[in-house]
Amino acid sequence: MATNASIARAVAPRRGVGRSLLLTLPIALWSMLMFSQGFMRASRATKMASLLTIVFMVALFFQMMRTSETYRWRRWFFVALGFLFPVGFIYNLVAARGTMGIPIEEMIAGRTPFCFIPIPMIILPAAFTRSIIFPSSILGNNGNTAGIAVMVGLWFALSLVMGKGWCSYACFFGGIEEGFAAIPKRATVKKINPRWRYGPWAVLLAIVLLSFAFFEPTYCMWLCPFKAVTEYVAARNLVGVIQNIIFIALFLGLVVILPLLTKRRTQCAFFCPFGAFQSLFNKISIFDVKINRELCNDCLVCRNVCPTMAVNAESLAKGETHMACMRCGACVDQCPKDAAVWHIKGTPIAVKPERARLMYIYGAWALAIMFGGSILAQSTATILHFFM
Amino acid sequence: MYGTFLMGEAFALGLASGPACVASCGPVLVPSLLGEQAGLRLHGRYLTVFLGARLLGYLLFAAVAWELGTLLSLPPTVRTVVYGSVHLLLAAALLWHAIRLGHRHAAAAPELVTIGARRHWRLPHSAAVFGFLTGISLCPPFVVAGVRAASLGSLAAAVSFFAFFFVGTSIWFVPFAGISFIRRDEAVATVARMAMVIIACYYALIGIMFLAGRQVYGYQR
Repeated sequence: MATNASIARAVAPRRGVGRSLLLTLPIALWSMLMFSQGFMRASRATKMASLLTIVFMVALFFQMMRTSETYRWRRWFFVALGFLFPVGFIYNLVAARGTMGIPIEEMIAGRTPFCFIPIPMIILPAAFTRSIIFPSSILGNNGNTAGIAVMVGLWFALSLVMGKGWCSYACFFGGIEEGFAAIPKRATVKKINPRWRYGPWAVLLAIVLLSFAFFEPTYCMWLCPFKAVTEYVAARNLVGVIQNIIFIALFLGLVVILPLLTKRRTQCAFFCPFGAFQSLFNKISIFDVKINRELCNDCLVCRNVCPTMAVNAESLAKGETHMACMRCGACVDQCPKDAAVWHIKGTPIAVKPERARLMYIYGAWALAIMFGGSILAQSTATILHFFM
Repeated sequence: MYGTFLMGEAFALGLASGPACVASCGPVLVPSLLGEQAGLRLHGRYLTVFLGARLLGYLLFAAVAWELGTLLSLPPTVRTVVYGSVHLLLAAALLWHAIRLGHRHAAAAPELVTIGARRHWRLPHSAAVFGFLTGISLCPPFVVAGVRAASLGSLAAAVSFFAFFFVGTSIWFVPFAGISFIRRDEAVATVARMAMVIIACYYALIGIMFLAGRQVYGYQR
């Protein structure tokens, strides 16, 4: 298996500074627009956090333009998002209710923050009974802005543009495992049975059916690894204890240990039901990643670096990636023959792939600033509050 | 005349509770149908056996409900034991079926490779087991029908009530035949088997918790 070290190309800038700055200008303006509200706040910590976020996001985009590489610069943002999100989230929870556990009173009052992962679970019960099986409110209340309408609206808008790119630019959980996967120089476990790729679909099928049958968000109740770092079930009885043991075991196994061993996003690749659901949006999105068969020499570098095993010999033969492709850009960046390219559906594969990449990156980064950037700014402000 | 109204009531009750029945049986029926080969005839046969066994479970339950007088007279502990036991049995059946499908797919048994071979009608045992167990599980509409049947004057009336209730709910199962049109490959078979294992684990957990007399939902004080 080729390693990142052995396949890394020289990071020779492909664009000049002036041209890169010019290409970065729209993103810089967009960032300032997005965080202008932060500067109007009285708090010095909030102002500083907004400024830091703008510099961070713009600098990363500048590097994307200068080096024509996507993956490693995106990874800085994504890992920062993954590790900072729990900080701000937990701080807010503790400030509002004094605990990370969800007490029954909060659920009855519909004050549980809604995350995007239950979306596939709420569809069937909502369609048949017009009720939402998640203890949150539609518009958010009591300082909780993560209402169902806001989250579903944002998710839908972003998904139409980015397809499964949501999992690489917006998901505030995936960065944690991507961070752990980046630590080892090479993978200890290299051979993985490709059948595990079907895991997310199986979890999706199971939780959709069980949620409809038992009228509860089954994944949130029993299977979410990220409960371990966000809000867990208040362990007031034996079942609560069992639930938390499951959450922690899944988190340690899928988000920490396996990424360290495999250098892959194992939770996303083998377990996350939302990722499977999100794959369907790859069919709608106009962007995809293609393999130019005329240039490809079947070196399998793309297969080896893909964090979600979305490339294999079968897909390579077809000149495409599997539905699980998260548009992270790892294969495109690492391909020694430039055979893996960003592509706009309906256009010839060999025509200006960099233009397709730019079109995708502008959209994805603009949305990353709006969604993930605001989380980064809020969490950074939370930390800075302790020092300023 | 009263009998006609009664059967109409049973049918309407079944029709109205259909979505709840579909939701209740879905975790068992959908993955097991996906685990089968494609083909409308094959799925029709599977569904027929499933529904037939479910009817058998219904009628058996109707007789018991009528014999006992009313479901409400059943102590909650007995209902909990029935509910927990049925879920444990369903978990075991799902696991058994997932393993059996794994062997069958791995060995490409004659049922899968039928080119040039004469098909013999074989009872899909899994459909019969799943149908019967879901037929006696105490899902909410089933309990409603059970309470109503228990108040009827004779055993025959109670059994007939459940039979018409069954017909009403069964209409909702017809769309499941559409699963036969999904193309079958290694991916679908693997997803079906994995989903069966996950659902089996969930059912086993529920069954154990109910038998142990614990609250399944961990939010209580």
